[in-house]
Amino acid sequence: MTGYLIRRVGQAIVVVFGVVLLTFILSRIIPGGAARAALGPKATPLQIHTFNVANHYNVSIYQQFWIYCWDIVRHFYLGYSYKYNQSVVSLIEGRIPKTLVLVGLSTLFALIVAIPLGVLQVVRRNTPVDYILTGASFVGYAMPAFLLGELLILWFAIDLHWFQFEAPQSTSVIGILSDPAGLVLPIFSLAALTIAAFSRYMRSSMMEALTEDYIRTARAKGASPTRVLFRHALRNALIPIITLLGLTLPAIVGGAIITETVFNYPGMGLLTTNAATQNDVPLLIGTTFIAAIATVVGNLIADVLYAVVDPRVRYA
Amino acid sequence: MNSLRWTRQGRHAVAASAVVAVLALAACGGGSSAGGTTGATGQATSGGTVYFAEGAQAAPNYIFPFAALQYFSTTNLNQFQMLMYRPLYWFGKGATPDLNLPLSLANAPKYSDGGKTITVTMKPYKWSNGETVTAQDVVFWMNMMKVEKLNWAGYAAGTIPDDLASVTASGNTVTFTLNTNANSNWYTYNELSQITPMPMAWDISAAGQKSGSEACGTASFQDVTVTSTSSTVTPVSAAAKSCAAVYTYLTGQAKKLSSYATSPLWAVVDGPWKLTHFDTSGNVTMVPNPKYSGPVKPKLAKFVELPFTSDSAEFNALAAGKVDVGYVPPQDISSNATTTGTCGIKPGANNPRLANYNIVAGSTWQINYFPENFNSTGNGGNAGKIFDQLYFRQAFQMLVNQPVYIQHIFKGYGVPTYGPVPVCPQNSFASSELSLGNPYAYNPTKAKALLKANGWTVKPGGTDTCNDASKCGVPAGTPLDLDLQYVSGSVSEDQLMQAEKSSWAQAGIHVNMTTGTFDTVLGNAVPCGSSSSNCSWQMANWGGGWIFAPDYYPSGEDLFQTGAGSNSGSYSDKTMDSLIDATTKGNSSLSQYEVYGAKQLPVIWQPIGLTATEINKKLAGVTPLNPLTNINPETWYFTK
Repeated sequence: MTGYLIRRVGQAIVVVFGVVLLTFILSRIIPGGAARAALGPKATPLQIHTFNVANHYNVSIYQQFWIYCWDIVRHFYLGYSYKYNQSVVSLIEGRIPKTLVLVGLSTLFALIVAIPLGVLQVVRRNTPVDYILTGASFVGYAMPAFLLGELLILWFAIDLHWFQFEAPQSTSVIGILSDPAGLVLPIFSLAALTIAAFSRYMRSSMMEALTEDYIRTARAKGASPTRVLFRHALRNALIPIITLLGLTLPAIVGGAIITETVFNYPGMGLLTTNAATQNDVPLLIGTTFIAAIATVVGNLIADVLYAVVDPRVRYA
Repeated sequence: MNSLRWTRQGRHAVAASAVVAVLALAACGGGSSAGGTTGATGQATSGGTVYFAEGAQAAPNYIFPFAALQYFSTTNLNQFQMLMYRPLYWFGKGATPDLNLPLSLANAPKYSDGGKTITVTMKPYKWSNGETVTAQDVVFWMNMMKVEKLNWAGYAAGTIPDDLASVTASGNTVTFTLNTNANSNWYTYNELSQITPMPMAWDISAAGQKSGSEACGTASFQDVTVTSTSSTVTPVSAAAKSCAAVYTYLTGQAKKLSSYATSPLWAVVDGPWKLTHFDTSGNVTMVPNPKYSGPVKPKLAKFVELPFTSDSAEFNALAAGKVDVGYVPPQDISSNATTTGTCGIKPGANNPRLANYNIVAGSTWQINYFPENFNSTGNGGNAGKIFDQLYFRQAFQMLVNQPVYIQHIFKGYGVPTYGPVPVCPQNSFASSELSLGNPYAYNPTKAKALLKANGWTVKPGGTDTCNDASKCGVPAGTPLDLDLQYVSGSVSEDQLMQAEKSSWAQAGIHVNMTTGTFDTVLGNAVPCGSSSSNCSWQMANWGGGWIFAPDYYPSGEDLFQTGAGSNSGSYSDKTMDSLIDATTKGNSSLSQYEVYGAKQLPVIWQPIGLTATEINKKLAGVTPLNPLTNINPETWYFTK
């Protein structure tokens, strides 16, 4: 396992480097250049030249990339966003905790709801309960996130005044968590899709697990249906879910652009989208860098957890 | 936006409704309104907190008034800095763009010596630290401009400070001596408008220094000497070097957003408001500056600006009653406004969810257009030649049905553009001839006839072809097939472009439309020569045209003069050049230039979509809306 981990970390470094390099190169071919994107297209040639010199855009692309990488190694400096007038690191530092809270809590909520729902659907399979829950899952899966969010705000916040119309506006994690009422609607809005998806995964995973030989053996040995379900089938059925969780880490870090937009909650989703649409080159590279790290780490965690949970899996 | 941004060289309103919303959220007392109920009635009260909606994703992020181009935006200047740091001259009186002397820091500038000498007398204003706003504070700004002009957003070669022979301060009088004559209106509205006096408390280069420690603020303009090349400015004298050091320090402090409300530096204000809270999300809280010397003291206890991630998030805040002054996104306007005359807008019934608000509309000081690239190599090298033909531009413009688009796409919340000077709001600069109407009103019959008369075989719904090169101006067989890239992400812009495409098609002008982000469209629409390797773009529409701020005098030297930096399409006409020169250097009014520009069609004029402002029914003093995007919350008050 140690050797496997070392190899995977090495691969991860290569992948992240490749992603950053590709993004860096692509960012240099944006029409107009980073200077024009930052200054506006009517910047005079003189102002563009001044900007380029100040930000090293006047040297070769190799030198630019070297400077960029060296700044990361020395100070973990990912550049400066002139659109926000903040360093990329401070922008990401400010947004990631908010995103982790929102998306993390919604994923947790989705799991808490989806796993029992999936089990219930298996226990009551091919009954009206199963059909209703399946239908609800499809509706949840198909519902556009922005529509669900706006409807929830309209009904529960503006008309009924049960909840707030926007997510907590605090910039600190403690401030956000101390306003749980503000988190209800955005978490539910974001979790709806995940509940639908995870409950379907759980249902099929459980059904597959219940057909295995060890289940028949357990029953033959006199195990109760509850013991068979929760002690034997569920634990094995959770393995794919754990894998999926690892693969959702990039999404957790990457944010939820639509939920953030509807619920007035600026997180990583909006930050990344704005970086792309506004040609904010340093921020675009920085958020891509973070997303790449999250992706490779998520994959690694998924693989490791898979081996931990399933003793049959061993990595050389 | 989006990001929200305009510069002296490129005051392109961001296509997104955020900027249009920001433009509509301006207020100044007095004057006529463009339309709508004008606010609360009832007994005025003191105190209270007003919540003001910032444009979607358009939060302020720069506090230092001497801003570089990337920070020069409506959000930063008109809705943030100017509430604390007053510019030398305030523009926007009621619903007009006129110079507002009562709110200015100085009396009217006096021009003498053929317009080469300008005398400015300061009024007795005080900084919040007790110091007087003096003539030397103006010189401080000018000294900074001399050394750091390359970092000043408003700088263009040959204009302020390059056009100054000297700037002297004596008592409370500043005297500017120009190198050459200048039109007094142009110089007041476009050059003096760029000056914001700075306090001596900012004349430092490190924390803890005493006020005025560096020589930048106290030196005379003559003592600040630099050597300049085409791309560098090098400080020479000690005073100049101190200006460079002060600039470095202040810009460094301006990058520490979390310290804006606590830094003693930014606490020295001369405006009616001072900052008590600012965070990186864009939440801003201001309270009245008790030392404000201006004519109107704030009645509110607090002024709070709220950031929003989207128009819909802002609308939800309005519907929940969280915001006192906001805007209604176009998709949430439930009933059209009606147009009265050219500029009058009478709002329709408000959205039922906004029953506690009055809906108001006001024109903005801008023109809307998109450029054609006169040097374009597109369409087999013929696109530029097609655009060169006045008859084509006339036919093309005559197929743009501005009144219909305003009514059906903008739901009545819009005004037309006829030429290079805004016709709305009604103003003293607009020509009386153009006030009578559009010289190229919608007339598809005339457009088709014009094309036919100039050698085109007109195929409505198809693509015209040139059958007589001597009349067309392009080779025979050339199709009238053109490309236009426009900004994505705006429903109204999408609808407008598709409507125009259909309209052009009825005269056989086939326009291929593509979309791009705001920055992409702007990045593509740059002046280029036909011999350059990349001059194939033909038409580009970033959705917002040009906002006249801080160059409030709509002369055309940045837009339509040959070689001007913002002359995207490389339009060049000797008559236009001399008419523009007459408005900037001579004493001509804008009238001749305006009429010529309207008729010559250097660009294709477009309607301007406005955003409807929502004002709490209990809040008064907000209207009429200022067309220059300035807000004056010191005039606002709650009623009971």
